[in-house]
Amino acid sequence: MNFASLLSRERINLELKSTKKEEVLKDLVYMIKSKTDAELIYSTLLKREELGSTGIGKSIAIPHCRSLAVSKLEIAVGRTVKPINFNAIDKKPVSLFFLIIAPPQDPGNQYLITLGKIVQISKEITKGNLISKTKTPDEFISLINEIEKGISKKR
Amino acid sequence: MPKEIDIMRLLKRLFDLDNLIADKEADKKMGFKIDEEVGLMSLKKERASLLKEIPIEYAEIYERIKKRYPLAIAEVKNGFCFGCFQQLPTEILTKSNEIVSCPNCGRILFWREE
Repeated sequence: MNFASLLSRERINLELKSTKKEEVLKDLVYMIKSKTDAELIYSTLLKREELGSTGIGKSIAIPHCRSLAVSKLEIAVGRTVKPINFNAIDKKPVSLFFLIIAPPQDPGNQYLITLGKIVQISKEITKGNLISKTKTPDEFISLINEIEKGISKKR
Repeated sequence: MPKEIDIMRLLKRLFDLDNLIADKEADKKMGFKIDEEVGLMSLKKERASLLKEIPIEYAEIYERIKKRYPLAIAEVKNGFCFGCFQQLPTEILTKSNEIVSCPNCGRILFWREE
């Protein structure tokens, strides 16, 4: 499974101005859905964050949930201009966000596979100090492609 | 009594919440931080309060189906219940604005707004 192929430049915003957790989640959700669907996803994501922050440390968070609001796996990426408090595991502020929303029925387990892949990619991003490296969505997708190639070479 | 569209909205929230709780073990395995005490308690409180908002007849249907299937709500697609993959009778397919159950599996049906 190639994660870069799931990304689209319209759903990558590398200049988010939001400064609060709730605002960032809303920005991300509205990249993939609108109206009542967006509201449902947003309220579920807020609850997911209550269960424990999806901030995995080293400035990266992966907000995620399954929701009836989507019929296929939906992904958005956001990077805030300034790092924000996201109650991350390492208590440090977060600037790069991968939003992943899956439909409730996920026969191929694509959701968990994708989540695992993002965790792996995130490690490479932090290892190479690459969070702020890209300026445009296209550059970001190329970077993810390169990282994925690197990961598969290591195997 | 709230309109059916509002009840369906509450049922969907309840459904998403139940999936969050169901997914917490998988999340933990993946290394996400899960607060089993305060966090989980808050979700359970929210669940209880959502259940109170939903008229009892619908809340009971949801809870009854959930005991049988982990996913108590199923989408209707191309005339089929996507819970049990059985074709739905025409009289059900004309009720997309109402809350109805699949006559085969009993799951609550929902139609995606296009």
